[in-house]
Amino acid sequence: MFMLDKIYTFIIIGAIAIIGNWVGYDVSPIDALPGMLIIVAITVCGFAIEKVLPIKLPVVIWVSFLALLVTSPIFPGNETIVKATSQINFMALATPILAYAGLSFGKDLKEFKQLGWRIVVISLVVYTGTFLLATLVAEIGFRVTGKFH
Amino acid sequence: MKKLLSWKIQLIVLALVVVAEFIGIKNFDLGIGVVALFPMLYALIIGAVISLPKLKLLSEKDMNIAANILGISFMLFVAKLGTLMGPSLPQLMDAGLSLTLQEVGHFFGTIVFGLPIALLIGMKREAVGATFSIDREPNLAIIAEKYGADSPEGRGALGVYVCGTLFGAIYLTILASILANSGWFHPISLAMGAGVGSGSMMAAMTGALAIIFPESANDIALFAGAANLITTIVGTYVCIFFSLPVTNYLYRKLEPVLGRRSRKAENKA
Repeated sequence: MFMLDKIYTFIIIGAIAIIGNWVGYDVSPIDALPGMLIIVAITVCGFAIEKVLPIKLPVVIWVSFLALLVTSPIFPGNETIVKATSQINFMALATPILAYAGLSFGKDLKEFKQLGWRIVVISLVVYTGTFLLATLVAEIGFRVTGKFH
Repeated sequence: MKKLLSWKIQLIVLALVVVAEFIGIKNFDLGIGVVALFPMLYALIIGAVISLPKLKLLSEKDMNIAANILGISFMLFVAKLGTLMGPSLPQLMDAGLSLTLQEVGHFFGTIVFGLPIALLIGMKREAVGATFSIDREPNLAIIAEKYGADSPEGRGALGVYVCGTLFGAIYLTILASILANSGWFHPISLAMGAGVGSGSMMAAMTGALAIIFPESANDIALFAGAANLITTIVGTYVCIFFSLPVTNYLYRKLEPVLGRRSRKAENKA
């Protein structure tokens, strides 16, 4: 069946995150399980929609939209879903992601060694630029509208 | 189909997560500000050390599987952030103006800062590929389609892509910590800024901000997630119809001025 390896992978990552959530944030796996099942289900449905629908949009949009929908006040049982998913600390979910990022580090190292110093400098400038300018514009927006200050 | 299943990788990740979460958050006061180290960073750094080709612990295949899993694992994080958005829609609407405007910063920021400096240090057409966007996968596809992957523009984009993959998350985490400690910006402004459109970078920056401003941790995740989502949704279109033409236009205008100056400087030296 299509996507079966993706579903396995999400379940494994979910299980790892539940353990991290337990070690780092003292949430017992039993309390965290329903929320994680919901998060995995939302993600799998997002992938399924992307696969089935003829409109080609990035999966991230479907996953976000579904998560937003089932937790918004118009969805029946949204409060239960919000309560269950709030047991999963977002930091605990990010730790395995960054672990995968770390483990793929060596892959690009060879290519990196062939790059000149200029491109390394510019890549740092590019990442600084996008973060700094967006932050600056948001800050100006907040000060002008008087929100959050 | 991309290969995803590897018990070896999953067991290493489990071990990394347990160790990282066990160490927990550590704050170091360096006098100029507090540097927060947190589980995500340990997992990233220890993982990177394990993957070093010299140590021969992971094969090329293992690392490719880790990269493939990374590509889809971020969706779980996106789902979690999405569940924060549903109950907070009024709050997001309320910040709508800033949320929309700051996207201009995300897309313009790479060009405004990157292009002039790239020209000053003597880059030519590589500068266009390198600075028109943050050069993640969708942006690489745009450049490859227009110029070819082996063109100067393609090489510029690929170079930034490689650097971003290797050091983007860690660099932006440090930068986010510095800006957060400066006191110039509201935590929510920084959170929106963190929605740069790359999963691991956004996750790491959000983590750093949430630790520095623990009382706003949930709002930080909410707004970083929302900004990241907008960056992703409009990103491809903006890059094709706006970023790339604007970068090319500015290149034509700026290169004769800044490019020549850099050659003069080199001659003098």
